[in-house]
Amino acid sequence: MSDTDPIQIKDLNFSYGSVTVLENANLSIGDREFISVVGPNGGGKTTLLKILLGLLEAQSGSVSVFGEAPVIGRKWIGYLPQYANLDAKFPVTALDVVLMGLLGKTRMLGFYTKSDREAAHNMLARVGLDNLHNRPLSALSGGQKQRVLIARALVSDPKLLLLDEPSSSLDDYVEQELFDLLQELNRDLTIVVVSHDVAYVSRYVEKVVCVNRAVHTHPVAEIDENIIHEMYGEHVHAVRHDQEHGHG
Amino acid sequence: MGEFIQALLQHSFLQHALLAGLLVSISCGIVGTYVVTRRITYLAGGIAHCVLGGMGFARYMQVVHEWNWFTPMLGAMFAALLAAFIIGWVNIKAKERIDTVISAFWGLGMAIVILFIAKTPGYGEDLMAYLFGNILLVTQGDLLAIILLDLFIAATALLFHKQFVAVCFDEEFARLRGINTQFFYFLMLALTALTVVLMVSIVGIVMVIVMLTLPAAIAGRFCLRMGTMMAFAAGLCAMLTFGGLAISYSPNLPAGATIIVLSGTAYLISLLFKPR
Repeated sequence: MSDTDPIQIKDLNFSYGSVTVLENANLSIGDREFISVVGPNGGGKTTLLKILLGLLEAQSGSVSVFGEAPVIGRKWIGYLPQYANLDAKFPVTALDVVLMGLLGKTRMLGFYTKSDREAAHNMLARVGLDNLHNRPLSALSGGQKQRVLIARALVSDPKLLLLDEPSSSLDDYVEQELFDLLQELNRDLTIVVVSHDVAYVSRYVEKVVCVNRAVHTHPVAEIDENIIHEMYGEHVHAVRHDQEHGHG
Repeated sequence: MGEFIQALLQHSFLQHALLAGLLVSISCGIVGTYVVTRRITYLAGGIAHCVLGGMGFARYMQVVHEWNWFTPMLGAMFAALLAAFIIGWVNIKAKERIDTVISAFWGLGMAIVILFIAKTPGYGEDLMAYLFGNILLVTQGDLLAIILLDLFIAATALLFHKQFVAVCFDEEFARLRGINTQFFYFLMLALTALTVVLMVSIVGIVMVIVMLTLPAAIAGRFCLRMGTMMAFAAGLCAMLTFGGLAISYSPNLPAGATIIVLSGTAYLISLLFKPR
């Protein structure tokens, strides 16, 4: 533990009006860990994410992102939002989307520079899509879109990659490809994946953070597949935290 | 059509009308693309109706209090920018339902213009021109104003193209990358407001929204990038304006309404083609 850990949260409380969303949350994520954040809808995952990104401010407690306040530290975070929130018909190509990742770094006035475009091409190549750089986003498959968004998140050279439900619209085979890519990226980066699917992600991650008002961190060994199957049956794609608690 | 071309060569009012139409098309294509992709059509409609209130107020001050410098175009600009700022601010800060806020402004703009028309002696007919447009009454002064606003809008759009694209596509991500998204949101609303003012002289308030959205909507069905969508929409807007003027000339139809009918027809026809 050091104060330049990617993420340090201490005694954090957050509420919308009188509704408490996160209570006494503590969380620490170390360098190059591969972590999954799970929990039911409405349990506070999205709120936690927004606090880490400096989009929401907690009422009490401390949050540091690479030793800084989130509003400053977030420049080291590569963020992949839920694809469902984006306009599927928006007129952009794959390369256009990746270039957006360079916004804070490139010049303010005028178009992107030649070196911006090179960086974006390289990042598309890294996720295996450079041959599709001129394709409109709307013409890409679900898995390809996620890769484009990952390239956008990576092109700013972040130290932490934060993915919000990256596999929610993907079929199993594509989901596996995606996680193989993340595992490869994990050699250089800390990775935090928000997911519904605790059974699936446990194959890849080291720790699982359960968020349901409280925040608990479990080493993945505690939640191996046998336990999950025992708890939830064979094909579970959601976590019910009331049952999860017994193991926390 | 031949008769129209001949008349065009003879009459300077027609030349002015055509020039105005072509110039406004540039802003129309650029801002229309923002409005369509960022889905703020209704917001643009609210601003347009506030413009009416501003024009009514300016006309009233000119006639009754002899503020001769305060032309309806100036009044329109003030009202448009003020409305854009207030609606945008309420949207961001107050967390009110945005459509409710817009409706309030929409109605207020209309009501204010009616009050001022009632209290302005003898100038009701002018305001009819603002409501439904009269492209044939474009003066040289109007043309100059249109050129200046056009230049401002096009230059701003070019300089900040990448920020605007990012803010339209994924505002939250742009903000996380250090872009002042609120500033660009307001700037976009201001450009929308100015374009609305420009278009008032061509098609009138009532039909501004059609010209702002339909060319961009047609372009959006076939274009793959924001830049090409803007260029395509601007070209389309120019063609529709020219076509509407030409068609309306011989049978002496209202030019603004003819342009709108032509645009609506073009949009409906575009729906028959397979989109990208």
